[in-house]
Amino acid sequence: MKLITRSLVTTALAGCIGMSFTIPSWSEDITLNMAVPDWPPTRIMKRLFDEKYKAPSGNNVTLEVDFIPWPDYYTRLNASLTSGEQKYNMAVSDSQWLGAFIEGGYYRKLNDLIDADPELKATLDDMHPAPLQAYATYPYKSDNIYGFPQMPDILITYARSDVLCHPDEQAGFQEKFGEKLPCTPEELDGMDWDMFEKIGQFFQRKKGDMLMGEPAEDDFYGISYQAGKGYDFSSMQINGFLWQGGGSIWDETKIPDGQAEGVVNSDASVKAFEHYLRLLKYMPPVVKTGSMDIFKTDELFREGKTALNVQWIGFAESVINPDTSKVAGDVVFAAMPGTKQADGTINRTSNIGGQPFVIMTWTEDDKIKEAVDFVKWWLSPEIQHEFAAAGGQSAIKSVYNDPKYVTYRPWNRTWAPGLEWQQDVWHVPQFFELLVQQQEQYDLAITGKQDAKTTLDAIAKFQQQLLEDADLIQ
Amino acid sequence: MFFRFNAKDQAREVDQAGWGRTIWAAIISLIYFFPVLFIVITAFKEHTDALAVPVKLFPEFMAFMVPEDLTFKPTFHNFVDVFSRSFSAGAAVQDTGFDRFFFNSVYIAGFSVLLALLIGTLAAFGFSRYPLKGNDTYLFVILTTRMLPAIVVIIPVMLMFRVTGLSGTYTGIILLYTAFNLPFTIWMMKSFFDELSPDVEDAARIDGSSERRVFFKICLPQVLAGLAATAVFGLILTWNEFLFALLLTGVETRTVPVAMSQTIGGDIGVRWGLLAAIETLFLIPVILVTFFLQNQLLRGVTFGTVKR
Amino acid sequence: MASIVGIVAVAISAFVLPVIATLWLTAAACALVAVTAVVNAWGRYTGGLLVAPAIAVLVVMNIFPLLWSLGLSFYNYRADRQTLSFVGLRNYERLITDPVVWDRLTTTALLVVLTVTVQMVVGFLLALLFSKQFPLRRYLLILVLTPMMLSYVAVGAFFRYYYDPTFGLVSQFANLFTDEPYVLISSTAGAVAAIVIADAWMWAPFVMLLVLAGLVSVPKYLYEAASVDRVPAWRRFQSITFPYVKGLLLLALLFRTIEAFKLFDVVFILTDGGQSTETIALYVYRQAIQFNKTSYSASLSYVLLFTVIVLTNLYLYLANRRAKEG
Repeated sequence: MKLITRSLVTTALAGCIGMSFTIPSWSEDITLNMAVPDWPPTRIMKRLFDEKYKAPSGNNVTLEVDFIPWPDYYTRLNASLTSGEQKYNMAVSDSQWLGAFIEGGYYRKLNDLIDADPELKATLDDMHPAPLQAYATYPYKSDNIYGFPQMPDILITYARSDVLCHPDEQAGFQEKFGEKLPCTPEELDGMDWDMFEKIGQFFQRKKGDMLMGEPAEDDFYGISYQAGKGYDFSSMQINGFLWQGGGSIWDETKIPDGQAEGVVNSDASVKAFEHYLRLLKYMPPVVKTGSMDIFKTDELFREGKTALNVQWIGFAESVINPDTSKVAGDVVFAAMPGTKQADGTINRTSNIGGQPFVIMTWTEDDKIKEAVDFVKWWLSPEIQHEFAAAGGQSAIKSVYNDPKYVTYRPWNRTWAPGLEWQQDVWHVPQFFELLVQQQEQYDLAITGKQDAKTTLDAIAKFQQQLLEDADLIQ
Repeated sequence: MFFRFNAKDQAREVDQAGWGRTIWAAIISLIYFFPVLFIVITAFKEHTDALAVPVKLFPEFMAFMVPEDLTFKPTFHNFVDVFSRSFSAGAAVQDTGFDRFFFNSVYIAGFSVLLALLIGTLAAFGFSRYPLKGNDTYLFVILTTRMLPAIVVIIPVMLMFRVTGLSGTYTGIILLYTAFNLPFTIWMMKSFFDELSPDVEDAARIDGSSERRVFFKICLPQVLAGLAATAVFGLILTWNEFLFALLLTGVETRTVPVAMSQTIGGDIGVRWGLLAAIETLFLIPVILVTFFLQNQLLRGVTFGTVKR
Repeated sequence: MASIVGIVAVAISAFVLPVIATLWLTAAACALVAVTAVVNAWGRYTGGLLVAPAIAVLVVMNIFPLLWSLGLSFYNYRADRQTLSFVGLRNYERLITDPVVWDRLTTTALLVVLTVTVQMVVGFLLALLFSKQFPLRRYLLILVLTPMMLSYVAVGAFFRYYYDPTFGLVSQFANLFTDEPYVLISSTAGAVAAIVIADAWMWAPFVMLLVLAGLVSVPKYLYEAASVDRVPAWRRFQSITFPYVKGLLLLALLFRTIEAFKLFDVVFILTDGGQSTETIALYVYRQAIQFNKTSYSASLSYVLLFTVIVLTNLYLYLANRRAKEG
C-alpha cells in the first residue's frame, strides 16, 4: 500500500514536473523559410497568412518569405538548392522542375504525411486531377505526391469586345467570310483555330485604314499568341497545337518504351506545328524577332494593338486595371481556341501553367508539421475563396464549383471547363536540356529560317539521343 | 612582358576651345545621352503613357512649343511606388523594401570599393617599389581572375560561403566584391606609382625617412587623383554587379540591381515607369560621385602616359 | 616557385580525392602558398607584406574557387547530384569535338571583334571631342559617361523597347519615311547589330575616359612645335598624340576585350541567343545553371580562359615589341 502511494505520488509529481516543462513549449517560435517568385499570387498568400493564420498547434509560426524576381527565380532557387545551403524549408516551383529537384534529393515526398492526415487526403481527393498530377506527381501521373497547388493557371483567350462587337466590323466580317464574327464570351467560347485565323486575316489594318468606323491611329492586328525564344514561351503554345492535332511531345508516362523519333516528328505533329506557324503571319511584326513572349503579347494587347490574345490567366488582372491597361473596360475572356474534330467537337487540349509549392527534404519534423498545417490552411475552402476573390485561382473542385466563384473575376467562367483540357510538359530531370534545344529550333522556324519538318526532325533526333543516353528510352 | 608607364611631369595645360566646341559637344552628348534621358522621362510617365505611339517625349508644361499628342502628364507616383505600393488589386499599400535595397547597394559598393582601394593601393605600391620574384606573373595571375565568366566560380563560392556561414551576410558579399575590384585597382594604382619620380623618394630615404613615411608623406599625396579615378571605375563596375548579388545575398542584404528585375516579369509585361524610376534613383549616387571626382579623374589618369 | 608547386599539388589532389576533402586540401594548399609567398617576400623585401593582404583576399575569394573549378573539370560532377567520378580529360575531349561549342565561340569572336572595335572608335572620337577645355565641359562629359553606370536590366529592357517594331523609337523614326514597321532583329545581322549597338553604347565611355586622360597629357609645346613645322594633321597625330594615348588605349583594349568575352546580360535580355547570337558565356550559363552540368561548364570556361589569356598576351607582346621598335 505504502509502495503504491509512494509510486502514485511520484507519478503525480513527475506529471507535474513534466507539465511544467511542456507548458512553455506549447507556444514555440517556429519560422518557415519560403522562396517564392515576386508576383501577386505569392504576395496575396503572404498577406493572407499575416492577417489570418493561427497555427492549430498553438505555436507562434512566422512565414519568412523571400520574394525573388520572376526572371531570376530559377537561377536563384537552383543555386540555393544545389549548393546545399539548405536555406529554404519550402518553395514555389515550376512544375517542370520537379524531376530535376526530386532526383537531386531536395523536394520531400509527401505521401507519408498525406496518409497520416485524413483531412489533407480529403482535400487532395477534392482537387482536380489535372493540376494535381501536373504540380505534384513524379514520375508524371504516378501516385507519388511532392507538392500542392499554389497558383494554378491555364491559357485562355483575352478579347476586345469593343472591336469584335462593333457593327461595322460585324458586317464586314459577315460579308467577307459569310459567318458571324464572334463577340460575346459565349460565342468566343465556340471559337476554333480556323475562326481565330479568320479574325487574324480580317484585322490586319494599317495605320489610317478603317477600324471601328474610324481611321486607325496605328497598325492593328487580329490575333497573337506566344512565340518567343526565351524560357518556354513558344513550347507552351505549340504543345497545345500538337496534342489537339493528334501529334505528341515525347510522352514521359510511357518510359521506357515511349519514343521521341517518329512521335515528336510524326506527320500529325508536323501538320499541327505548320498550323501554329501559319497563324504567325497575321500577328504583330515583333513575331519576326523571335521575342514575342508572353510579356510582349500582354503589352500589345493592353496597348490596344491586338483584338485577341491567348494568354495565361495570371496576366488578366493587369488587363482589366485602368491604371495599367488602355483597354480595361472592353475586355472579355473565353476559352482558348481549339481544333475542330471530325465529329464537330472542339479539342482544346492545352499545356497547364501555374506553380505548386513544395517542402524541402532537410526540413525538421517540427517544421514539417507546421508546414503541413500551413498547407491545409492554404487549401481550406475559406482561404481558397479569399485567394480567388483577390485574383487567384483554386484547383479544389468544391471551391471552383461554388456559384460564387465565377463572380469573383470575369475570366473565372473559363476556369472549370478549361481545367478539363489540361496536360503538362515533361517533368524529367533533363527538362531544361530538352526545352532549350526545342526553343532554339522552334525559334528558327518562327523567324522563318527553316520549315516545320526540319525543325521537328532536329528536335526528335536530339531528344532520342539525349533520352537514350539517360536510359529513359530503351 | 608588360608595357611600362613613365612619369611625364611637364605642364599639362589643356588647350582651350570656345563656345563653338561647346555647341558641337552639346549636340553629340545629348544624342549619346538620349537613351538615358528617355529612361528618366519614362520615370515620370503613367503606365499607359509609357508605350504610346507616337512616343510622348515632352511633359505637359512644354505643350506650347511641341505638338500636343507628344506630351504627357508628368507624375511622381512611380517614385512613390518604388518604396511602397499595393501588390494586388485592392490590397493595402505595402513596403517594397527598396529603402533597404538602396542602403545595401550603397553600403556594399562603398565599403568594398574602399577596401579594395586600401589593400589594392598597398599591393600596387609593393609591386611597384619592391618587385617580387616573378612580379609580372603575379600581376598577370591577378588579371586572370577577371577573365572567367562569374558563373564558373559561383558554385565553389556558394559552397565556400555555405561552409563558412558567409552566405547572405554583408561580410561575404563585400569580401567578394573587394576581390572583384582588386585586379583593376592594382593595375591602375601600380601604373600611377610606376610613374612617380623616384628621386624625391630616394632623397627622403637618404634623409632617414622610414618606408611608412615615404609612402604616406611622399607617394600617396601624389597619387590622390589616381585613387579618385580608380574609385570611380571600381564603383561603376561594382554598382551594377548582378549575378553574385543575386545568388549570395539574402532578403536582408539584397541590392538594387537584383530587386530591379522584379519589374520585367511576372503578372504584366514590363512596369516601365517603375523600372525607369528605380534606375533613375539608382543613377543619382554614381553620377554625383563621378561628378565630384571628375577633375581628379582627368588629372589623375594623365599620369598614364607611355614611355617611348 | 612555391606557387607553382602549390598549384600542381592542388591539381593533383583534385584528381584523386572526394570533393569535400579536396575543398579542405585546396584551402590548406592555398593558404600555404599565400603564407609561403608572404614569408619569402618578407624575408627579402619589406614589400612582400604590402602585397600580402591583396593576395590573401584574391586567393580566398577568387583563385581558390577558380582552382576548384579547374579540379571539377576533370570529373563528371553535376551540382544537383551527389555522385562524383573522375573522367580525366573527357570533358575537354567532348567540348573540342562539339560543333555547338565552336559555333558559340565563332559567334562570340564576331561579337567581341565588332563591339570592341566600335567601342574603341567611338570612345576615341568622343575623347577627341572632349580633349580641349571649353565652357560646360564638366557637365557635358557627365552626360556621356552615364551609360556605363546603368544596370543591365534597364539597358536590356529599354533597348528591347527601342528596337521594338510596334512601339519602339527606331521603328517610329523609320515610319517617318516608310509605312512598313521597321523590324531590326529579324535576321542574324540585325540581331548582331542590335547587340553591338547596345553594348558599345554602354561601354564606349569607358574607353573614352582612359583615352581622354592620355590626350590631355600631351604636352602643349609638342603641338606648338609641330604646327610651326607645318606637320600634316595625320603625321602630327601619329608622332605626337598616339604615343601618349597608346598605353591607356592598350589598357582599355585589354579590359574591354576581357569583358566582351563575358558578354551575357545584353544578349540574354535582347535575344536570349535567338537569331544565332548565343555567346559562349550564355552557353556556359545554360550548362552550369540550367542543366547543372558543373564539370562540363567548368572545362568550357577554362577553354575560354585559355583563349583570353592567349589573346591578352598577344596584345601585350605586340605592344611591347612596338614599344621597343619605337
